[in-house]
Amino acid sequence: MSHMDRRPWALALAVLAACSQKAEDPPIVLTELPDVAPAEAHLTRLTATQYRAAITDVLGEGLALPPQLEPDLPSSGLLSVGASESTISAWGVEQYENGAFSIAAQIMDDETRRAALVPCTPQGTVDAACTTAFVEQVGRRLWRRPLETDERDALVAVANEAAMTLDDFYAGLEFALAGLLQSPNFLFRVELGESGRYDDWEMASRLSFFLWNTVPDEALLDAAAAGALSTAEGLAAQARRMIDDERARDGVRQFFTDMYELYELDALAKDPTLFVHFSTDVGGFAREETLRLVEYIVFEKDADYRELITTNETFVNRHLASIYSVPAASREGFAKVTLPRSSGRRGVLGHLSFLGLQSHPAASSAVLRGLFVRKVLLCQEIPPPPVDVNTALPEPTEVAPTLRERNKIHLENPSCAQCHNFMDPIGLGFENFDGLGRWREKDNGALIDASGDLDGKPFTDAWEMAEVVREHENVGICLTRTLYRYATSHVEQADEGQLIVALSKRFEEQGYRIKALLFDIVTSPGFAKVEVQ
Amino acid sequence: MKLSRRTLLKGALGGATVTVGLPALECMLNTHGTALANGTLPKRFGIWFWGNGVLPTQWVPTGEGTEWTLSDQLSPLADVKDDISVVSGMSVKTGNAIPHGSGPGGIFSGAPLILQGGEEYTFSTPSIDQFIAREIGGETRFRSLELGAKPGPGLSFNGPNSKNPPESSPRRFFDRIFGGNFTLPGDDPTPDPRLRLRRSVLDAVMGDVGRLNARLSMHDKQRLDQHLTGIRDLERRLQRLEENPPSLESCALPDRPAETFPDVDGRPPMPEIARAMADVLALALACDQTRVFSFWFTYPVNNVLFPGMPAGHHRLTHDEPGEQPMVNDIVKLITTELAYFVARLKSIPEGDATLLDSCAVLATSDTSWGRNHTLDDYPIVIAGNACGALKKGVHYRSPSNENATMVLLSLVRAMGIPAAEYGAEAGHVDRSLGAIEA
Repeated sequence: MSHMDRRPWALALAVLAACSQKAEDPPIVLTELPDVAPAEAHLTRLTATQYRAAITDVLGEGLALPPQLEPDLPSSGLLSVGASESTISAWGVEQYENGAFSIAAQIMDDETRRAALVPCTPQGTVDAACTTAFVEQVGRRLWRRPLETDERDALVAVANEAAMTLDDFYAGLEFALAGLLQSPNFLFRVELGESGRYDDWEMASRLSFFLWNTVPDEALLDAAAAGALSTAEGLAAQARRMIDDERARDGVRQFFTDMYELYELDALAKDPTLFVHFSTDVGGFAREETLRLVEYIVFEKDADYRELITTNETFVNRHLASIYSVPAASREGFAKVTLPRSSGRRGVLGHLSFLGLQSHPAASSAVLRGLFVRKVLLCQEIPPPPVDVNTALPEPTEVAPTLRERNKIHLENPSCAQCHNFMDPIGLGFENFDGLGRWREKDNGALIDASGDLDGKPFTDAWEMAEVVREHENVGICLTRTLYRYATSHVEQADEGQLIVALSKRFEEQGYRIKALLFDIVTSPGFAKVEVQ
Repeated sequence: MKLSRRTLLKGALGGATVTVGLPALECMLNTHGTALANGTLPKRFGIWFWGNGVLPTQWVPTGEGTEWTLSDQLSPLADVKDDISVVSGMSVKTGNAIPHGSGPGGIFSGAPLILQGGEEYTFSTPSIDQFIAREIGGETRFRSLELGAKPGPGLSFNGPNSKNPPESSPRRFFDRIFGGNFTLPGDDPTPDPRLRLRRSVLDAVMGDVGRLNARLSMHDKQRLDQHLTGIRDLERRLQRLEENPPSLESCALPDRPAETFPDVDGRPPMPEIARAMADVLALALACDQTRVFSFWFTYPVNNVLFPGMPAGHHRLTHDEPGEQPMVNDIVKLITTELAYFVARLKSIPEGDATLLDSCAVLATSDTSWGRNHTLDDYPIVIAGNACGALKKGVHYRSPSNENATMVLLSLVRAMGIPAAEYGAEAGHVDRSLGAIEA
């Protein structure tokens, strides 16, 4: 893996090492990645965000896009994995058709948009050569590969028929474009491989949907056309370019949206009579806060991923600032603020996107919050509760006013405790934050005790717990596993587990930097190999 | 319903085979002579679903057969009591692995779920609406329609991991059916060459599907096959729009619903949303745009804040102490909306009867007692009698926790599908529930 050493960040590590270590110390050697048996190929449906990004990138900004598309459903906790298992319903087909014609009409009715996409001037109502040029050029971007002759000719025939019937050359192109946009070659990522590996075009798609959450750009397609993506050097060069590109922010944002279930924030509902700071736009603000912090840690600072859990910096607008009781740094939009120790709040586990989402509409939840930490940050599965138990918590009373006391039944009944012991002590650590995520000292008039421990490591409150979570041995490998599943849209098979372990070791060796892990994943054998049907 | 001699005659003239003295399998055309080409009116099947179950002690009616009294929770259905049947005491037998998941799996497919880790699952076989749609959905513009009063994924399954998501906006639901090229009976469709051209595009897309199919694994082939079915359905929809609409006397344009239904005190106006959708759906059926639907009033585990309630529905089912008066009120709000829908179907005349008479609507939930997710004494209401195939106005109480799939087999057969069995494994039955059949 000698080409790895030429990476800019590997170099930076070496420089640091030189500053802090004796000259004769050996250079840091990163863990080698093992080879893996190829995983099965699968069709992956474009997610709604990928569909919209692809349209914007290929056909232009500012188009009115379909308000509704086939919904994305998670599988094994990820929308990305769900995309390789779900289907397109009859209604979905209808929505894609409506969307395709709406988009195509907006382009053909607008001379500027049209001129940007049609590479020739038509000679008459029917001009097969010009239509062919259009279908080939736009088709390559939308389908992420050159069209086969019969594929192209079928669309040119439709365009000619439409142009003749409607007596308008561009009406013909409208129908051809609508065809490109409804084809499974656009709506699905067709990555089926040949000779045990993804071909160059498929690799371009894989890189681009993973790293940018959209279709490849021309440069990446040109690299595929030149066969560069099937060489280690060519692949590494494109990976470096893409990770350093601004669009990588979109990719990383989408990953954390998926992993942290931030898409659920659209439907965040709170009882406004209990939570006077709640309004329906709070969910969107909360997501933006978390994603801004992710961008800041990953791209501005290129820092340790685990800082996301312990940083006392965050990004708030005025609405969130009022919920967090901190001064807003900007009148408009989001700006960075530093949270004081007295706020009790830091890291993503202090964000409304966690505290409010992992709660009930009218109350906090120790179970949901604890489960999120176990399942999402530490990748520990906890089975659903048995179906036949009474899961009611007692109402608050004078002797048992806080959730900790009401929750006791979970931990005193042995059959409940075997699972709740994993969740509730963590969740109760967040009890200083109400069901929306506002700080409170008391619950039903009684002082809150937010102390506890995580796998034997004690904490007195959520601020301290952040440090304990950060240092948990699962944090790095969990992020690695989730990112690998996200990248490949499948749950690892057979010996891919060994690859994930090695990737996570390298993640650690390189300071838990997400950008380094992105590079390692796309240049790993698991990203390139496929079992051909 | 009563069949007059005149109706029978017209039915025979219209081409339907009718033997006097046997229960009618198809509804007859009306006295004005307007009906479908073959002289019969269609049967319709629907699901009406709400999440989080009931309080069984306040749900089950007293009395049995035709002599029975509505329970407290069913009391909102008083005006349509003679048009519904209540089935109680039956059990979902397909296992109870996932709270709020195993119930719908059993009551809609009669088969165990496929468990996918944590609380994730998929149905292993199609839900009953899609099973029936495959048999009777092929004629109409829409094979089936799915709608929900809140956004959510619904539980209409074509097969494993393949869902039909519901529309949650009354306005968009209206536009989908009655917008664009929709033509009322008696009006000529406006000739639109674009409809035919759109079908040409779909032909090209089907060519792409075909070429791709050859290279796929069995699993992906099945997924793409679902896509192909959707494309064929769309072709049929476009074709229907080019044809003269069927002459159906009760077909009319519903009012176009409001674009949004803003929350009131932070609580969604569920009754208003559901009624706006019910009005559109009823006329979509009257205009024979579809014969199969699923209406998701709410979803399993939903935490909807109902008007005046201090917590979400699901929380209340678990946390409200004592007799759970608040949960009781929510269930009655739900049955009030079910009653509205049933009455709406009944308000539309069709032939010598009403739209409701041609329907069989299975109204049910994801569990019996929400508090502990029981699957015994399952809440089941059937509205309409499928053109006389089912009894109406009866309460059947199973004496022995009979398999709830028997109800599904009765419904399938009531739709005219000669099924010998239904369900799988512990849910499998080859015997239907005779007590609700005519």
